[in-house]
Order: sequence, then structure tokens, then C-alpha cells
Amino acid sequence: MGGFAGARAPVIAGLGITELGNVYGRTSADFAADAVRRAVADAGLALGDVDGLLTNTGLAADLTLGLARDMGLRDLRLLSEVQAFGSSAGAMVQYASMAVASGMADVVACVFADAPLREPGAGSAGAYAGTGRRLTQGWRALDVAAGLLGANPLYALAARRHMLAYGTTSEQLGAIAVAQRAWAAGNPRARFREPITLADHQASRMIADPYRLLDCCLVSNGGVAVLVTSADRAADLAQPPVHVLGGAQAHPGYPASSDSTFGLVSGASQAGPAALKAAGVTLGDIDVVELYDCYTFTVLLTLEDYGFCAKGEGGPFAATPGVLGPDGSLKLNTGGGQLSSYYMWGMTPLSEAVIQVRGQGGERQCERHELALVSGNGGILDHHSTLVLGASPRERSITGSGS
Amino acid sequence: MTPLQASPVTAEFFAGTARGELLVRRCADCGRHLAPRCVSCEVCGGTDLAWTAASGAGRVVSWTVLPDRAGGPPVVAGIVELAEGPWLNVRFVDVVPEAMTGGLAVEVRFVRPEGGEAVPVFAPAEQTLG
Repeated sequence: MGGFAGARAPVIAGLGITELGNVYGRTSADFAADAVRRAVADAGLALGDVDGLLTNTGLAADLTLGLARDMGLRDLRLLSEVQAFGSSAGAMVQYASMAVASGMADVVACVFADAPLREPGAGSAGAYAGTGRRLTQGWRALDVAAGLLGANPLYALAARRHMLAYGTTSEQLGAIAVAQRAWAAGNPRARFREPITLADHQASRMIADPYRLLDCCLVSNGGVAVLVTSADRAADLAQPPVHVLGGAQAHPGYPASSDSTFGLVSGASQAGPAALKAAGVTLGDIDVVELYDCYTFTVLLTLEDYGFCAKGEGGPFAATPGVLGPDGSLKLNTGGGQLSSYYMWGMTPLSEAVIQVRGQGGERQCERHELALVSGNGGILDHHSTLVLGASPRERSITGSGS
Repeated sequence: MTPLQASPVTAEFFAGTARGELLVRRCADCGRHLAPRCVSCEVCGGTDLAWTAASGAGRVVSWTVLPDRAGGPPVVAGIVELAEGPWLNVRFVDVVPEAMTGGLAVEVRFVRPEGGEAVPVFAPAEQTLG
């Protein structure tokens, strides 16, 4: 998806982020309405300008099409629920971009919200594993009986397979956690901003071997929305336009057999190159990289699959001094990501990319922010979305890439 | 282990475990062996899938060790590749977490939680498979 040019080329013109984290007593629908209103205000638009709405509900599963009615949105020309889990944010922006480019709609709000944390003291792991615990029937119940309940152990199996194949180590995963925490120090929205060391990572309690606590994302309540509109409409709005230059998805459909590349290669290997090609840019042109980081390993695998390093070398690459972190050569997960800042599924990397491309990152702002690469990942590495975002329209991005 | 109940989709499988058989699917069109939960063939798309007993031998593809919050022994669980090819998500028994290795030869056993169906688990094979 890409090749957009001219007046109807899609642009992210608004970003709305609600209060995030341990915020209790609000539903996903409430967070979502709040996020959309904030995105509309951020863009300098009125709610009545919104003529398209895409919703993506999180674990609480209480965000539906009813949001349009709740918010009093009338005469929408596009309305749908989207669900591809962590790849949904990127997918929604892709669908909204195509709708805007085709003239189907002019201002499409894309919103994610979740409220899995219901009371003080509720553990994040409990919030995400709780839904399957009472399962006694069906095939998934066999996974639960085995002990493979929720995302932690299943993603641990992916990391272990990579370790077996390529020699990846826990310390290499830890390098990613340490680097992202350093970035989080500069993000006022980050839940955890105190620096950590590799020793802290290694000393954190084991969750699902090889994952320690500091390999795992946190869990947040809240909502994030972006507004996608056309380049000509965005030209007069309040914020610097963030151009949607390219996008792609990949859903590998791993077989349950010896042919499976589970843990070794993800959909990023297809979606990444396809999105870059659609945008007319190369990996070397990218200034800022925002990768879905439900676990440290997800980042490592995506780095390999996008081509930042060779297959199997994600561990040594991440652990090489001078590569990651605010002072590193690769500006990766500049807001601290899901590991340290906030967990809004694919809206975490997307929101940080919008902030960076606009140049609004404050003390964590990257000096070069013309082009951002954004990933979304859902299921157990089952679903992948990629976006290439730019501060300039397509033509100028390409012209400017020669340096 | 939580007792499991058979349902229409798993009834045949659990009838197998009750007999001490590990049933998998086999595509009538191309002969491919498939995981029990498959409803179409991963190779040819065929939907004529028969139940067939696997040998019960397999090798460890991946595993995780889950600490027990209450201080009991950890759970070791992961993926087994059956000799016939399909992957299963399983509990490992009679294993030492530190001794787990990729490719470790394992074989099926059945546990019978009170009030539930017999469930396949995997233990280190008693003799090395070629």
C-alpha cells in the first residue's frame, strides 16, 4: 500500500493520547471517546468533521461500533471494527489511508483503547492470562492444561527456538530492555523512567524462561487515536503533517509442523520490505524506528526481519555498544516502548513515530526525523503490519534520501 | 493440571487418549500428518482428514520453564515435533529444566486428572531413537 501523491495523499493530522496506566473506573469506550476528542482537538478540527471511524478493542473487549453513537457522530461514510491484535493500529491507518486516497472519506479516526486493569494491585500478567484460566474445553484448553496459558509462555517458546537456532542469549535480550529504559527517561508519559542496568535485567524475576520480568511489556489502561485525512486538508490544520508513505501487512499462518518458521522468521520479513518499497525508500533512509515490543525478543526478531542485521544476528547486533539507546546509531523505540512506557498495542510505536516525525519529542527528540518505520505485531507473531511515515510528501522524501 | 472435558471438536481425540492412543490427523488426499486441531490440510488444502494413532515418539522443538508462585516445582512446557511431523503444545514430565535441550527425544504418556479426560504429556524417551 503506497504510491500516494497529490491532494488526496493520506496524512496523519491528529494524535490523541488519554491518561495512561493505572487509571481505574473507566471503560475502553470511555477512553476511546476521550482519545478521539483529543485527536480532533490536536488537529484543530471539530468532531463533526470526522466522517470515518475505525475501532480496535483491546483485551477488555468493550469498545465497539457503538462508539459512534456514544459520541454523537452522524452521517459517517466509513465505520468498522478492526481486529488483528497488535498489528491493528498499523492496519487501521492503512485502511483509513486507502479510504482517504480514494475519496471514500475525508477525516478518519482510528482508535484503540483498553482497560484490562480493574483494580489497584491487579497484576499485569494476571490481567492478560486470566481469560484462559478457566478454559476446560476445546483445543486451547489443552494448551492451558500443558501450562501454556497466555502470551508469556508462548512468546517464550519463540525466543527459545531462536536461542537454539542462533545462540541468542538472555543478556542480548537484556540489552534491548536497558536501551529502551534509557529512552523512557526522556518521555513524560513513560511509566518507568528510572535507568536499569543489564545486571538489573538479569536479576529480575523469571516470568517464563527465558523471559525475565524486564523482558516483558507492562499493561496499561487508556486509549490512543490518530486522525487520517488528505494532504490538502492537512495543510491548513494545527499540526505538522505526518505523511503515510507506505504500508503492508503479513500474516504467515505458521503450520503446526516441522515446516514452521515460528520463532525464527515473522511476517516482518515480508511486510517490512513491502512497505519500504511502497514508500519508495530504503532501510538506509529511515531515521527513526518504532517497533512493537511486547517482549524484548519481538524487537530482536523484527530487527532481523526488517534487515537491520542478518538473520540470526539480532542478538549480537542489539548488544553491540553504540547501536541502541539514545546515544546509539539506531534510533529505536525512542519513547521507551511497551517495555517501559505504555502498552497500547500498536498505538505505542505509532504514537511515538507521529511525535518524532512532527519533531515534538522534547528531550528525547531525534535530530533526524524525516522518515519513520513503524511495526505492529499481533497474536503469537501471527500478524504483522508495517508503516513508513514521513515529514514530507513522497516526492520530497525520495529527493531528500540521497544524502 | 486442570481437568479437561471433551467437546464435539475434541471428542474423538479424547476417546483416543482414554485408550492410551495419541491421535493425529492424516490427509486422505496427500497423506500428510497434521496436528489434531487441524481442520484442513496444511499442504494440499484437503478437508478429508482421518484420525490416526501416532507412534508417540517425538523431539523437543522448544520449551519454557514456568516458576510456581507457591514455591512448588516449576512447570516445563513446550512444543514437541512428533515423529510423523505434526507439532503439539505439551507439558513435559520427569524432566530437569536444566537438562532440557533442543531435539531431546521424548515419548508420550497419559495423565488422568480426576474428573477430566486423559491428557498426553511427554517424558524423555527411555531409549534413544536412531
